Amino acid sequence: MRFNPNINAAVINDIQQSEQNVQTAFQQVSSGQRVNSASDDPAAAAADTQLQAEAATVDQYSTNAESVLSQAQTADGTLTSVVSLLNQAITQGTEGANGTNSATDRDSLAEDVQGILSSVVGLANTTYQGVSLFGGTSNGTAAFVADPTSSTGYTYTGNSGINNISVGESLTVQANIPGSTLFTNPSANVLGALSGLVTALKTGTSADIGTATAAVTTALNYVSQQHTVYGNTINQLNSQETYLSQETVTLTSRESSLVGIDPATAAENLSQAETANSSVLAAAAKVIQTSLLNYLQ
Amino acid sequence: MSSLTSSLSIASQALQAQELEIQVTNNNIANVNTAGYTRETVNLSEADPSQDGSVSVGNGVDIQGVQSVRDDLLTLRIQQQTSAQSSATAQVNALTQIESLFPTTGTSLSSTLSSFFSSVSALSADPSNTADRDTAIQNAQAVVGQFNSISSGLTGPSSALDTTVTTDVAQVNQLSSQAAGLNLELVQQQAAGQNTGTIGDQLSEVETQLANLTNIAVTHTSQGDSIVTGSGTPLVLGTQSYSLQTATGTDGHQHVLDSSGNDITSSITSGDLGGTLQVRDTQIPAILDSLDTLANQFATAFNAAQTQGYDQNGNAGTALFTIPSTVSGSAAGIALATTDPTAIAASSDGSSGSNGNVANLTAVQNATLASGSVTTQSANLVYQVGDLTSNATAQATAIGQSLTTLNNQQGSISGVSIDQESANLIQYQQAYEAAAKVVSTIQSLYETTINMIVTS
Repeated sequence: MRFNPNINAAVINDIQQSEQNVQTAFQQVSSGQRVNSASDDPAAAAADTQLQAEAATVDQYSTNAESVLSQAQTADGTLTSVVSLLNQAITQGTEGANGTNSATDRDSLAEDVQGILSSVVGLANTTYQGVSLFGGTSNGTAAFVADPTSSTGYTYTGNSGINNISVGESLTVQANIPGSTLFTNPSANVLGALSGLVTALKTGTSADIGTATAAVTTALNYVSQQHTVYGNTINQLNSQETYLSQETVTLTSRESSLVGIDPATAAENLSQAETANSSVLAAAAKVIQTSLLNYLQ
Repeated sequence: MSSLTSSLSIASQALQAQELEIQVTNNNIANVNTAGYTRETVNLSEADPSQDGSVSVGNGVDIQGVQSVRDDLLTLRIQQQTSAQSSATAQVNALTQIESLFPTTGTSLSSTLSSFFSSVSALSADPSNTADRDTAIQNAQAVVGQFNSISSGLTGPSSALDTTVTTDVAQVNQLSSQAAGLNLELVQQQAAGQNTGTIGDQLSEVETQLANLTNIAVTHTSQGDSIVTGSGTPLVLGTQSYSLQTATGTDGHQHVLDSSGNDITSSITSGDLGGTLQVRDTQIPAILDSLDTLANQFATAFNAAQTQGYDQNGNAGTALFTIPSTVSGSAAGIALATTDPTAIAASSDGSSGSNGNVANLTAVQNATLASGSVTTQSANLVYQVGDLTSNATAQATAIGQSLTTLNNQQGSISGVSIDQESANLIQYQQAYEAAAKVVSTIQSLYETTINMIVTS
């Protein structure tokens, strides 16, 4: 059988093919990716796109969780201070209820409790990044403002709005408790109880002071109870952050197994492709160097 | 009756035959690197014997002519595969450009969409934060920019492909008229009984070039080669060529018309022209359609979520994106309705610190829309484009291999081998020398005879 005497075209084709293989292998080594464009593996590229979107969402959940966490920690610290102030007020009240106190003593106790009241209001007006922590969703800078017409001397300027923040696929945490719930709740009004105690210390009988002190205790219990809400939020956020960082690791490893290539394999592919390329080139250099004419003299 | 004279005529015929052999060999060697050249051989046959009484004596050699060694069936296969290869290559070239619009790393449509939803989600931590709102609006602008630029990136090649259609058609016409001219020469040479090898080579070269451009079917007739394209539209019939035309169709693209003005665009299925039309009329519109659908459904869903809430100023939320009324053109036409950062309707109750509607806004990302969620749709787009490109590439590679095999096969039949020609040359040289020796022998015989007469 006759064979094709002009194998140049075929040889050039082989060289091109082999050079393309080297290029592909080189790109895989330099990028660390098996899939460098969608056509390298359309299904993997599409799945990778989804993973990237998922990873971005997880990152955002993480960022959200961090920012709620520091907000919750600030609120938590504030409530700890409120609790200790209320304990002080109860001590003062209990002391005031003692019949042996003179009117002057009670007046000075009343002054103390008044001081506690303003401190509590000060705490209730705590801001986080310029926005009142306990103002609901009103976005004001102070949740309570002095108001002589009010029985407690303060009016709530916030609203009762609550913000929930997504920190996971199906997990939202409550980011705030409005001041109206925390400090001026009709069933356990912190500010009301404190101003009641001030009034009782100033003008009331021992029994009145006792009643007012009991009201402060109720308020204290209520605040402690709300305090645990923040504690729970913080715990939840901490564990969610751990979960999210694990999720990020999982997504990254899924991504790299989908479109990545491990360096050893890539390096081996490259050296294989290079060896193959040198062989092709060496073979091409040998092609048709001699013909019958070399021997016909 | 055998005689010295007839021997001399046999010898001179032999000399002529060997001379022709040497000439053809020479021509073969000269054309060893000529594209499309088919090696030629001399067709020799025994001359009819002459009868000398009861003895029949051979009468030397007859030159039948020069013949090109070619396999027409193989040529047809090569033409078909050439068409398919050009088509695949045209598709790969166009699609590779389009593929770069959907990168797998860095800034892409899907990463821009993710960033946008992330920045909206960031508002949930602090809905009134001006910097966060600015970021969200900027990211919305980036999403709009991505849709717009990908859309124009898809329509850009589409109009460049129109230019390819026009130039391809012009080339087809030029080649057709060349083929018609060659047919005329072929017929004339055949009539004159001349060697048609060279014309045949040229014709087959023109046909291969035509096959590069469009799908053709070639039939050999007594009037030369008939060439038709598409579903039977004649390009060349005998010595007459028929020009294709181009005209702008209702879709704004260049259409291919036959010589009578009928639209034959859809019947051009192969060659550079076929591949170009395939990308322009099928693949790009399909990708653009997916992109438009995504832009439309995303914007509609996000706008709807906007209206469920209130902006930072406590006003009821309004559409953030404006889109054309039809799905088609949505990606090109999508725009921001406002660049005011306060317009993002994060609040669910009108208070500026509320984030109640953020969940509705971010839910759009993974909500099941009519054609799948935003994330799924953008991933599908990547798949769609990648799949088209990788299919075209795979096809081009596969056809390339089969074409190499076919060309090898053709080379093994029609290619010039220097070794073979050199060996033949020695053979012909010896045959020529032998014939020359016969002539000189006969000459000396004549001399002997003449001397016999003179001396007697």
